[in-house]
Amino acid sequence: MLLPVLLLLAVLSLFPFFYIIWMSLNTVSLINGISFDFAGLTNWTRMFTDVIVGAAWARAALYFVATVGLEMILGVAIALLIHELVWGKNLALSLILLPMFMAPVIVGLLGRFLTDSSYGLYAFALRELGIFEKDILGTSSSALAAVILMDVWEWTPLIVLIVLAGLASVNQYVIEAAKVDGANYLERLRHIVAPSIAGVVIVALLVRSMDAIRYFDIITVTTNGGPGNTTKIIPIRLYETAFRFFDLGYAAAIGLGMLVFSILVANAFVRILESRGLAK
Amino acid sequence: MTASSSNRGMGKQVILYAILFLVLLWTLVPILWMVLSSFKPGVAQLSPTPVFFFRPTLQHYTALFTGGNLGAYFINSVLAAGISTIIAVSLGTLAGYGLARSHFRGKQHVAFWIISTRMAPIAAIVLPLFILFRYVNLLDSIPGLIVAYLTFNLPFAIWIMNAFFQDLPPSLEEAAMVDGASRFQAFYRVALPLVTPGIVTTAILCLVFSWNDYAFAATFAGPNSQTLPIAAAQLNTQTGLSWGQLTAIGTIVVLPMMIVGLAVRRYLVKGLTLGAVTGE
Repeated sequence: MLLPVLLLLAVLSLFPFFYIIWMSLNTVSLINGISFDFAGLTNWTRMFTDVIVGAAWARAALYFVATVGLEMILGVAIALLIHELVWGKNLALSLILLPMFMAPVIVGLLGRFLTDSSYGLYAFALRELGIFEKDILGTSSSALAAVILMDVWEWTPLIVLIVLAGLASVNQYVIEAAKVDGANYLERLRHIVAPSIAGVVIVALLVRSMDAIRYFDIITVTTNGGPGNTTKIIPIRLYETAFRFFDLGYAAAIGLGMLVFSILVANAFVRILESRGLAK
Repeated sequence: MTASSSNRGMGKQVILYAILFLVLLWTLVPILWMVLSSFKPGVAQLSPTPVFFFRPTLQHYTALFTGGNLGAYFINSVLAAGISTIIAVSLGTLAGYGLARSHFRGKQHVAFWIISTRMAPIAAIVLPLFILFRYVNLLDSIPGLIVAYLTFNLPFAIWIMNAFFQDLPPSLEEAAMVDGASRFQAFYRVALPLVTPGIVTTAILCLVFSWNDYAFAATFAGPNSQTLPIAAAQLNTQTGLSWGQLTAIGTIVVLPMMIVGLAVRRYLVKGLTLGAVTGE
């Protein structure tokens, strides 16, 4: 049964993959049906000199580092906290996990609701505390921070979940022995816990990385790249190139650039599986 | 000595629970505020200061179903996510078993291909599928959405089921085959019952991924195939400020996924790390 299913997967994955390569070599028009006009490498040469696409990549890199970075730091910290609790561990974890089951589009819409300058709870709190008084999603300086924090809110729980599984497998006898020998919490963390959960933390980083480049729902429904392009990361630029300017061939070239990135992450993931002895 | 160290332990726990309280506040306030607002009458909704006490109403929910056609969107969501999940899990179980029990040259390349299909950025997959769907008339149809969801659910299901089957020692099936069972009987009567938790986890995660999808449905769905996340996003732009209905639809979208997601919490780590980390 392996072969027929793999053939179906090939139809679902390889066919679109070769098709997007073909698209990137054409000028694709949707007027009066679909027409392909062979353009050679023009889409490609254009992409490498396109300042807007370059800026969108740079913004995507910033967005990526900020979201995944904050999620890793907070996720590891919260996991360490939950691991130390004596009661209510299970309940605390269940409650903390809730955001990650939410549709990202609802997270974005809820974020809009909370930051709405007239009716938003968080906008109200920030205003009353005198921290921020302008329209959060409508102001360049705060819009990017706001969409980053929405992503962090939704996906930090995933890191907590994975790192906690790593912490649960740390050898308790070694910890107890270190305690007897007088090692304090930070010393134990550094010399025993950190080395034993390093592999799990890298898995968490890679799993999160691949999804961070997959989804763009939150930005689409909050700022859609604005104000003034400040949140226009590469998938948003691709989407508007394809479905607003109907420049599908050019969008395909941008899409292939994104695919290369995800293939690099997938490659790193398979390597870590091998090093953990999980790829048989 | 014991008293002072247990006092210190107590003090530590108090601090830990204080931090946990802040973390829970951060996680839960948006969700609770959404659910609370969905039962809030329109007047309280439009107050410039947050209203915490009000007479709860179902007006937003009834408005969604009577005027908003939400019943149809709900059915579309259930059909698209449900059928794609059933296909992905059935085929994924068969192929995952095949992959776990077979050894052939280039197996790691097949594995790498499966995982990179799962990780491919949605914005890049949407492009070729959009053109292909136009050719075969799958735009604005439930079958189209099912195919689109299979592009990520099928590789995911194959991969995870492979990981669950790898945890089973092949000796059980070998013993059954020595006793006269066929290969298929060994799979069906011995291996399959033992991976029931894996099948349930895979099914729930496939369901969550496709139920929560926005990007595919936003591109492919139309009046005949609109799903709940699309309805939620359009609600906001078409009718301007209708936060009551928006929070109601948000609640309808997220609650079922939170419930089924937590139901398989024990196995979530394995599922979400694509088999790289085993929990509890």
